[in-house]
Amino acid sequence: MVDLENLRTIAKETISREDVKYFIGWREGTYGFSVSPHFVREPAEADKLIFSPLCSNNLATYLTLAEKLPVPRGQEPDTRKVALMVKGCDSRAVVQLLVERGIEREQVVVIGCPCQGVIDTKKVEQLLGQPENVVRARWEKGKIICQLPDGEKEFIKEEVLAQKCLKCRYPNPVIYDILFGEKVEPWCQEEDFQEVKEIEGLTLQERWDYWQEKFSSCIRCYSCRNVCPLCYCEDCILDRLNPTWINRSVNISENTAFQLSRAFHLAGRCIECGECERVCPVNIPLMKLNKKLSKAVKEMFDFEPGLDPEAKPLQASYRPDDKEDFIL
Amino acid sequence: MESLKLDKDKLKDFIAALDSKKVYAPQKVGETIKFAPVNGDLEVSLDFANTTVPPKEIVFPQTETMFLFEQGGTDINLTKGGAEKVLLGVRPCDARAMSVVDNLFSWDIDDPYYLDKRKKITLVGLACLEPPLNCFCPSVGGGPASTEGLDILMTDLGDAYLFQPLTPKGEQLCQLSSELLQPAGAEDNARAEELHREAEKKITREVDIKGLAEGLPSLWKSEIWKEVAEPCLGCGICTYLCPTCHCFDIQDEMEGLDGRRCRMWDSCLFKEYTLHASGHNPRPSRRERQRNRINHKFSYFVDKFGVTACVGCGRCINLCPVNIDIVDILSKVKEAL
Repeated sequence: MVDLENLRTIAKETISREDVKYFIGWREGTYGFSVSPHFVREPAEADKLIFSPLCSNNLATYLTLAEKLPVPRGQEPDTRKVALMVKGCDSRAVVQLLVERGIEREQVVVIGCPCQGVIDTKKVEQLLGQPENVVRARWEKGKIICQLPDGEKEFIKEEVLAQKCLKCRYPNPVIYDILFGEKVEPWCQEEDFQEVKEIEGLTLQERWDYWQEKFSSCIRCYSCRNVCPLCYCEDCILDRLNPTWINRSVNISENTAFQLSRAFHLAGRCIECGECERVCPVNIPLMKLNKKLSKAVKEMFDFEPGLDPEAKPLQASYRPDDKEDFIL
Repeated sequence: MESLKLDKDKLKDFIAALDSKKVYAPQKVGETIKFAPVNGDLEVSLDFANTTVPPKEIVFPQTETMFLFEQGGTDINLTKGGAEKVLLGVRPCDARAMSVVDNLFSWDIDDPYYLDKRKKITLVGLACLEPPLNCFCPSVGGGPASTEGLDILMTDLGDAYLFQPLTPKGEQLCQLSSELLQPAGAEDNARAEELHREAEKKITREVDIKGLAEGLPSLWKSEIWKEVAEPCLGCGICTYLCPTCHCFDIQDEMEGLDGRRCRMWDSCLFKEYTLHASGHNPRPSRRERQRNRINHKFSYFVDKFGVTACVGCGRCINLCPVNIDIVDILSKVKEAL
């Protein structure tokens, strides 16, 4: 049972600290299964906070998405901390940001929230349609309960959870200052990369055709890039005009260049929160690309990002015995 | 103009009878619902509600080559106009959106690229009898059976479609397959009207937009925009998939010595949209960009053309990854006024 009273007390206490700027959590959305990131600055705002199986958004993205506007003359920059709620996967993004020094440890207050998996709204909407009223959901005894206008409905995890959650090995936050709720027992011990293996089993032509079909739908809205907590380059190659690395034209060639660049830049960095795939309006299975890279990184370097804040970034670490069989 | 009726199982034949024109209908392409050319053997389903990608891309493609050139050369090779097209199963909101966008592309200087395609399409609409949750078309002057911008309005009567030709273009289209279309009776028309009324009642989301055009600029410095923009990712979903958003960028793209001048969708939510060459950005944060998005739709466009640049299709609400909800924003704006 999620103790919302406790959560709201934690938030109120946290924002009352002099060294905290704001607290980021989730609140109920405006319809159906929607949920929105929620920025708390005032105690009254804390009363809207929720934590439920609908809280998909990885809030770590707001650590780097926050705009750094020029500070007016005579004013000091606001260097206070940002407090944020993180699920297991989200916490790995915080760790990876620390590893890359995208953020510093003293800039954040991490509220760790052990998580039993979040709902894939596309899955649940297929089962139930789009209810008009805001739906509440909760975890109960390994099941997911949705409160609908005509009563409660119970689902087993496989029916409604996001794919990434079904294979989640880190439901508990790997870093936190305050733990909200009790740690849960991980339900998956080993990553089997099944969906990657399925594609690897195809011929080169079949794989090419598969991705060409997926990439041809891409509308280049860049939601996958923007939502990613680890896509935070201030000067992204996609925005560059001089030189233009990737043309603005939306066609299969440029879309492929975009999607492969995006994925490659996450090699050894993607913490598999699945946000890119969740937000894609044209349903490109982006996690399959990311997982392919995770698999390669695991096999070649026995490395998983976002677990140890003291680790070196994969691409900044070299061992004489690193495998080199990928060099032709 | 007299109403007609088409048996549902003759839809395929109806499409075949339009062979001189290319027919587009909502289809699942990959994992996306969009308007795509109908192939001969393809079963057409008109059961989709709003397509993910609005049909604006047929007249205003995401990327459009305006002309080709050669580096060092002096000639340009203009892109030729397209073929006649029929868009089947267009939702009334999307048809209205085209009328809205027409204002922009025929204002000042006529835009030949847009207008050529626009003149060559016939819009066969389909009344929305089961409007999805986030539709609010009546609030912005439309309705689930609005005829604005359409050449024909179809209504699903169960075993047949009622065809109401609305323009000479629509009538011509009906004549192409006159042997398939039966005259409709008074009871069919009455049934359709009843269905339209029922459909409108099913729409639950609403917002009162009266006074927004004049009032919005007074909220220039309001905290509302900060609140709206704070969760915003700054992606292009809400604008790219909006049937009335029409901003574009023009770029020259080179491959070796071959160049093409293209125009492509742009979004006021991207930071480089207003970025000056000097590095200065007059809309430095998402707060100004979200403010612009709302002001443009509900104030600037109204000032200029007398119509609201929102048709209430609900796409931006449905697809926003962080639940930025335009109905909610407008309600807050109304409260603040």
